[in-house]
Amino acid sequence: MSALSGSDGRPIIAARQLTKSFETGRRGRRQLVEAVRQISFEVSPAERIAYIGPNGAGKSTSIKMLTGILHPSAGAATVMGMVPWRQRRELTRRIGTLFGQRSQLWFELTPRETFRMLGAIYGLERSDLRSRVGQLGDLLEAEDLFDQPVRSLSLGQRMRCELAACLLHQPAVMFLDEPTIGLDLLAKQRFRELLVRLNQEQGTTIFLTSHDVADIEHVAQRAIVINHGVVIYDDDVSAMRRSLLATKLVELTLAGPTDFAGMAGVAVAEHTATTLRLVVDTAVRPVREVLDALLLDLDVTDVTVTDPPLEEVIAEIYARPRT
Amino acid sequence: MTRRWLPVAVASAARRMSRDRAALTVAFGFYAVVATVISTLWRTAANAHGGSIGGYSGAQLTWYLYFSEAAVTALNPRQIELTGDDIASGAVAVDLLRPASVLGVRVATELGRSLPRLAGCTAIGVALAVLTGGPVPAAAGLLLALPSLVLAVACNLVAQHAFAGAAFWIRDARSTWFLYQKLVFLLGAMLLPLQLLPGWLHTLAAWLPFVAMAYAPARLASGHVEAQLLALQGFWFLVLVTAAVAVFSAGERRLQVVGG
Amino acid sequence: MTAVLATFRAAVLEARANRRAFWTQLAAMALNDVVWVIFWSLFFAKVGVVRGWDRSRVLLLLAILTTGGGVVLGLLSNARRIGQLATDGGIDAALALPVRPLAYLLVRRVEAVNFGDGLFGLGLFVIACHPTPGRALVYLLGSAAGAVVLASFLVLVGSITFFTRRGEAGDLGFQAIILLASYPVDIFSGATKVLLYTAIPAAFVAAVPARLVDHLDLSGVATLAGVAALFATGAATVFSLGLRRYTSSSLWTRA
Repeated sequence: MSALSGSDGRPIIAARQLTKSFETGRRGRRQLVEAVRQISFEVSPAERIAYIGPNGAGKSTSIKMLTGILHPSAGAATVMGMVPWRQRRELTRRIGTLFGQRSQLWFELTPRETFRMLGAIYGLERSDLRSRVGQLGDLLEAEDLFDQPVRSLSLGQRMRCELAACLLHQPAVMFLDEPTIGLDLLAKQRFRELLVRLNQEQGTTIFLTSHDVADIEHVAQRAIVINHGVVIYDDDVSAMRRSLLATKLVELTLAGPTDFAGMAGVAVAEHTATTLRLVVDTAVRPVREVLDALLLDLDVTDVTVTDPPLEEVIAEIYARPRT
Repeated sequence: MTRRWLPVAVASAARRMSRDRAALTVAFGFYAVVATVISTLWRTAANAHGGSIGGYSGAQLTWYLYFSEAAVTALNPRQIELTGDDIASGAVAVDLLRPASVLGVRVATELGRSLPRLAGCTAIGVALAVLTGGPVPAAAGLLLALPSLVLAVACNLVAQHAFAGAAFWIRDARSTWFLYQKLVFLLGAMLLPLQLLPGWLHTLAAWLPFVAMAYAPARLASGHVEAQLLALQGFWFLVLVTAAVAVFSAGERRLQVVGG
Repeated sequence: MTAVLATFRAAVLEARANRRAFWTQLAAMALNDVVWVIFWSLFFAKVGVVRGWDRSRVLLLLAILTTGGGVVLGLLSNARRIGQLATDGGIDAALALPVRPLAYLLVRRVEAVNFGDGLFGLGLFVIACHPTPGRALVYLLGSAAGAVVLASFLVLVGSITFFTRRGEAGDLGFQAIILLASYPVDIFSGATKVLLYTAIPAAFVAAVPARLVDHLDLSGVATLAGVAALFATGAATVFSLGLRRYTSSSLWTRA
C-alpha cells in the first residue's frame, strides 16, 4: 500500500547531478577525489533496480547519499519526495536499509530483542510489532532463528534476520548495499528470491548495489552501471543484453568432422570433431544469414543460439573509457 | 644467536615507532600534561611548606617528577595486558617457531618502541623543567640520568613480561596491569620521592625492583649525583631477566605439555 | 517506550551478555582508585595543607570524580569514542534509524565495568566525606553536573575528528581532562587555572561540585548548571556540524 505513494507518476527516487568529493592524502599532499560525479537517474515506484559497478566505483557513496548518511558536495536528490540529508529522520521511517558491511542486529542479543528496540524506535505498537515479526518469520522462514543470539547464527541465517529488521516498519523503498557479500550460492539465491517476492507481493521498490552480476540477472528489471563515479549505462536488463554486445553465440553440434572455411563477421571459438562454436558479429552479418549459410554447407544435428553471458556485457561496459 | 637478533629488533622497532606521528603526538601530549600537573602540585606544596619537603626543594622536586614520569610514560601502560592476551590466545606459541628467544625478541621490540617516546619525553621534560623549576640542579646528575632512563625502561619492560607470564597459568591475568602500574607509581617512587614515604614503606620500596624503574633516574636528575643507582639498576635488570626467563621457560614447557 | 530508553535497555542487555572477567576488572578498578587514596594520604601527611586543600577536601574531589566518571564511562561510554566512530563508519548505524544520532550513540553502549569507579566513589563519600543528607544530595547532583560537563567535553573533542580526520584530539582530550580534574585546581595559577575553568572545564567536573558540597551557595550552583548546559549545547552543535562532514568508511562495523 505504502509503495503507491508517488504513484502519481513522479519518481520515488530521483538523483540530479549528484556529486561527492573526498579529501585524501596526507598533509601537504591533500587531494580532492571525486567519488561520485554528477550522477542522475530516476526510479519509479515498485521498480527493481540493480546499481552495479566494480569496487571503488562510487556505489556505496551514492547509496549513502540517498539514505541521508552523507551530504553531497553538489547536486540534488529526493527519495519519496524528501531530501535525504535534510529530512533524514523523516525519511528513515519510510525506507529500509540493509548494508552488507553494517549489521543492524546487535551481536550479543537475539534478533527478537533487537526487533523490540527497533519497534520502539519506529514507533510501532507492541501488538503490531508482534504480528509483524510473526509475518516476517513466515516470509523469511526464520521464525526459529529469532530467539538465538546473533553471534551464534551463520551468515546466511543472519542476513535473513537482518532483512527482517529492515522490514519491520514496512518501508516503501529498500536500499541494499552488497547484501549478498559472503553468502554461499544457495543463500544468495534464497535472498534474491525473497527480494523479488517482496517487490511483487508488497510493491516495495528495490534499490540494490552489487558487483555480482548474478544479482542483476535474478533480481533486477533495470540496471544502472556506474564506474569511476559516473553513470555509464542505464537501461532495462534485457535491452542491455540485446543492444550492447552486437554478438551472438552459435553452437552447432556436427554429425561428423567437418571443415569450416570461415565467414566474414564470424569468429571461431571452438572447433572439434563434434562441436563448432562461433561468435557472430551481428553488425557485420545478421545471425539469420550466418545460420542459413551454415546449415546449407555443414552437416549439423543441433543448433543453439545464445546471448553472450552478462559478465561479458558488464565487462564491456566497464571497459568503456571515462567520458 | 639471540644476541645478534636483539639490537636489530630494537633498532627496527624504534624506526617504525618514530614514524607513527599520531601515536607520538598523543604520547608526548599526555606526558607534558601529566608531568606538568604532578610537578606543579609538588612545587606548590614545597613553597607552601617553607621551601622544601623531605629534603627536596621546589626546583629539585620539579626535575625529579619530570624524569620519573618520563621513565614510566615512555612505556605502553597496557603492555601487560597485550602480552597476557598473546599468551592466553596462543599467539606466543607461534613465536616458539622462531629460533630467537621468545622473550628476547618481545622485550627488544618493545624497548625499541619505547625509545623514541623516551627521547621525546626527556627532551620535552628538560625544557619544561627549566621553564618551571629553573636550571638543572646538577649537570652531572642530568648526564647520569640519561642512561639511567634507558635502564629504567629496560627493567620495567622485563618485569612487566615476568608479571604477564602469569597468563601461562591464570586465564585472567590481563586486568592486573592496573595493579602493576600502581606498584610502580607508589613503590617506584614515581608519584612521590622515596624519601617522603613513611619509614616502613620506604624500607619495603628500597628492597623492591620498582625503584629501578622510576626513582633512580629521577633522583639523579634532581641533583643527587649518586652513581651507585646505576649499579643498582644493573643489578635489578639481571635479577628481573633471570626471573622473566624462568617464568617464560616454565610457561613454554607448560604449553608443550598442556597444548597452546 | 521511547526510542532512547529502548536503546538504553538493549545496551544494558548487551552488557549483561558480555560479562567476561567482569568481577576481576571491577575489583582492579576499585583497587586502582584505592591507590590514589593512599597517595593523597601520604602526600598530606607530609604537606598538611596546600592552597586551602587538605586531605578530606581532596577525597571529596575524588569521590565526585569517580562517581561522575563512572557514570560517563559506564553508562554513556560512547562519549569517549566519538572520534573513533567518526573515522571507522560507526555512525552509519545511527543515521540509518529515525533517531537523533548523538543521543542514540551515547546510550548505545554500556560498559558495566566502570561502575567499579562509581561504587568506589559512593563508598568513599560515605566513609570519608562526612555524609549528611544535605551533603549527599549536593554530592549526587554535583556529580551528575560534573558528568554532564565531562561527557560534553568528550563529545566536543571527539567531534573535532570530523574536521581533522585524526583522532589525537579525542584521545588526548580524554586523558587530559580526567587527569586535570583529579588534582586540586588551586595548585595551578594564571593562564593554566583560567584554562581549567574555560576551554578544558576540568574544574567543573569535580572541584567546583566539591566546593559546593562544603559551601553550598546559589551563584556557585548557577555557574555549575550554566557551564553544564553551555557545554552540552556546544557539544550537540559541534557534533551536528561535524555530521555534515562525515565521510563514513568501508570498514565492517557492528550495529
